[in-house]
Amino acid sequence: MDYHIKLDLFEGPLDLLLHLITKAKIKIQDVSITEITEQYLDYLNRMKEFDIEIASEFLVMAATLLYIKSRALLPKPKVEEKEEEDPEEELIRRLTEYKKYKEASEKLRARENIYSSIYYKLPEELINKEEKLLPPIIEGNVQDLVTAFINLMSQRKFSKEEIKVYPIGKRPVSLSRRIHKIKRILSTTSECNFSDFFDRDYGRSDVVITFLALLELLKNNQIHIYQQGQFEEIIIRRVT
Amino acid sequence: MDEREVMGLIESFLFVSGDALPIEKIASFIKIDVRSTRKLMDKLIDVFNFERRGLQIIKINDSYQLATRPEYGEKIEEFLGAEEKQTLSQAVLETLSIIAYRQPITRMDIELIRGVKCEYAISVLMDRELIKEVGRMDTPGRPILYGTTDIFLKSFGLRSLEELPSLEE
Repeated sequence: MDYHIKLDLFEGPLDLLLHLITKAKIKIQDVSITEITEQYLDYLNRMKEFDIEIASEFLVMAATLLYIKSRALLPKPKVEEKEEEDPEEELIRRLTEYKKYKEASEKLRARENIYSSIYYKLPEELINKEEKLLPPIIEGNVQDLVTAFINLMSQRKFSKEEIKVYPIGKRPVSLSRRIHKIKRILSTTSECNFSDFFDRDYGRSDVVITFLALLELLKNNQIHIYQQGQFEEIIIRRVT
Repeated sequence: MDEREVMGLIESFLFVSGDALPIEKIASFIKIDVRSTRKLMDKLIDVFNFERRGLQIIKINDSYQLATRPEYGEKIEEFLGAEEKQTLSQAVLETLSIIAYRQPITRMDIELIRGVKCEYAISVLMDRELIKEVGRMDTPGRPILYGTTDIFLKSFGLRSLEELPSLEE
């Protein structure tokens, strides 16, 4: 019943084949495909008996093995087709290749066991000099954002000519994509002027989406808004 | 400053950094050229090893980091009341080793070698930041190319990829 325990140990058909070959104590190059095919199919049958679902990869390998076996039985065509690699050679090549990496992974496992038990210290959390120099902050809230937004909108004029420039109509950017974009901007600069976010918005819907994205980020506590003083530019800051 | 003091200074830099410190950064702070700094680091590593201190300095890709020694791992876990770190499953480890030796490599090529699907293994490795996307192959579909990270080197005690155990032919 040893197969019962080993069943879930195989990582795939190549792993199983390697196991059969090692068990037979032969080199990969000297494998008799006919013999190994029998053992392989035998194994799959046992898997069936135990009601274990056989992954499609195992079946593909079974088909390959049977194909190789049938080729050996049939008389060879006189004209050798050199275009395709001999399936038997190919299988042996794949087995050798796979064995190489399987052995390497065993060496890595040994290293992992040693080095997974090493511990490091977290970096000291010191206050950055630049951060210290920041002037006192007036906390902002959603209302301030809305006011700033209205100011910005009133400064900009969305004339009808602007729409004519884009007669096809741009597909609106989704909210999640805009949020992503804002996050990306903030990940490089850590803080940004409120108005800067609207610099590249062409139409009303773009501006609205950007604004919604900022509100969403604020709600989720991912950004922080503040002003240096009243009527100053609102600054958006990434929450770290 | 004499050499001992400089080494002491470096040690304290390593301590507060926690993370691995690139050689250039160390060199710029102690105002010595990179070559001499490297020599000094080798010496410092030797001192730590010779005195059999509980800490060691490990070198990864020309960066240095202060760390505990593996032989104390078990006791440290006991002390911290921590669970033992989870090791990688065989499937994941095989995938990792193929990526390590064959990088940059696409998922399809990994699957060709292993003969089984590797989606899950790759997602585990990405989650643990042992591998990363290093680019795209210039073929139809522009498949992602994977490569290993510095975290990989650290997790396996390697100073660089050249130190990977050699493949047996």
